[in-house]
Amino acid sequence: MRVAVIGLDCAAPELIFHKLKDYLPNLSKMTEAGISGKLRSCDPPITVPAWMVMSTGRSPGELGLYGFRSRVPNSYNDIKIPTSQDIKYDTVWDILGKRNKRSIIIAVPPSYPPKPVPGLLVTDFLTPDTNKEFTYPPGLKNDILRDFPDYKFDVKFRKPEKKQILDEIYRMTDTRFRMAEKMLKEKQWDFFFMVEIGIDRIHHSFWRYIDEESHLYENDPEMKEKFVSYFKMVDSHIGEMLEQFDEDTVVLIVSDHGAKAMKGAFAFNQWLIKEGYLKLNGHIPKQGASLDELNIDWSHSKAWAWGGYYARVFLNIKGREPEGIIDVGDVKKELEILKEKIKSIKGPNGEEWKTRVFEPEEVYPVVNGDRSDLFVYLDDLSWRTAGTVGYDTDYLLENDTGPDDAVHDYDGIYIMYRKNKKIGKVIDSTIFRIAPTILELYRVRKMYGMQGKPLEGVDYFE
Amino acid sequence: MVTDKKYTTVSLPTPLFEKIQEKIKGTGFTSVSDYVTFVLREILTHGTDQEAFNAEDEKKVKDRLRSLGYLD
Repeated sequence: MRVAVIGLDCAAPELIFHKLKDYLPNLSKMTEAGISGKLRSCDPPITVPAWMVMSTGRSPGELGLYGFRSRVPNSYNDIKIPTSQDIKYDTVWDILGKRNKRSIIIAVPPSYPPKPVPGLLVTDFLTPDTNKEFTYPPGLKNDILRDFPDYKFDVKFRKPEKKQILDEIYRMTDTRFRMAEKMLKEKQWDFFFMVEIGIDRIHHSFWRYIDEESHLYENDPEMKEKFVSYFKMVDSHIGEMLEQFDEDTVVLIVSDHGAKAMKGAFAFNQWLIKEGYLKLNGHIPKQGASLDELNIDWSHSKAWAWGGYYARVFLNIKGREPEGIIDVGDVKKELEILKEKIKSIKGPNGEEWKTRVFEPEEVYPVVNGDRSDLFVYLDDLSWRTAGTVGYDTDYLLENDTGPDDAVHDYDGIYIMYRKNKKIGKVIDSTIFRIAPTILELYRVRKMYGMQGKPLEGVDYFE
Repeated sequence: MVTDKKYTTVSLPTPLFEKIQEKIKGTGFTSVSDYVTFVLREILTHGTDQEAFNAEDEKKVKDRLRSLGYLD
């Protein structure tokens, strides 16, 4: 028995199972024959930490990972990018390695710098560039660059030249799949896990061409066609891989979160300034000024926020922050007041928002690392958060750092499939069940403290 | 010693070699050398975590993440 996991970052159930279904013969065939459904992501439903939740079966609280940046302790805005060194729990490939199983791991975030694995590893999109060591064993890098000189970890986007970005994403994804197929063909492996980030990039840049409900919707047949061809290309690579997998290989197609139309960005720090939580010395230097560009009077500020697909709100606590002003004994009370204020934020036209606000302790059994005091999903994630300030309004219809079409949604997808098995069931599940499923398929019954159970119906595939 | 050779030889006690040979049967490890290399690399890396990024690398990754809307 072997397991092959193909991760499609941000693949959304509405697209894969419905809207694009007819263009995706391989994924549709797998859906019809296997067990599939929505895969509820973790909190927050963000690439980092979601792939590591999938790989370790641990919650973001245990992992101490809450997004693409962690705060340097005792600072206001000094950030650290998560790396492979921050992962303190065994991944499924580490566990399988102890049973002498050999893995091929490609682009599972965060995996830079490359750690030794029993097998082969190529690092993820948080790798600076291909000049760095990005493989295990180190010699693999030269083989990859010889065969795929244009290999890319990620694209830089939010540039106006949309077609050019789309072509770049297309080439990046196509190259990564070709590399993966070559490794599957030429190397020995027991377990395979790859993540393709291009789907996420396509969603953020091009959602407006396929979602008629979006306020940014543009009826542009050429762009829509390009969007669809990207997915056809991904599907045909999955078909290529299926050809290579034998009847003893269980294939898992998974995504870390879904996507939906972005309604806008809410200038959270600007709102905190108005509410008296954040005090500035002097004027705001320019429209779109970031926290670093502001002269903040920390000795009179109670809270500040970080933006992104969700908002992280920090209190300025005595003894914790360099110029903290809230007594530890008042933190609970202050949090309750602030939570109510955030929940009462309405939309630009006075409409009610379904905003979720919570403290990390409310959702994680264990809370490690430097986490914010509040997590905020504005209007159920439909509005992203802008950390920048200096706008005429708190409601920005475009993202503050450039054009963005999509936000994250809670539900990703999964499809569990094995050649010659006809099951055809739909069972929604959660991301916490993927690591236990992989171990179960290798008959590793010790679950290493993972909180989830194997996916329902896994026994059909054993 | 600087050499152009990609591999070199080390000696293992024969019983240990045979034990490893037995252990890796049916696994993806193709040879005793393959397995021993992995184990040694793992041990040598352990506890020697260096800073993952230098300042320039970190700037590169941060700029890209900012362009993707993650760091505003």
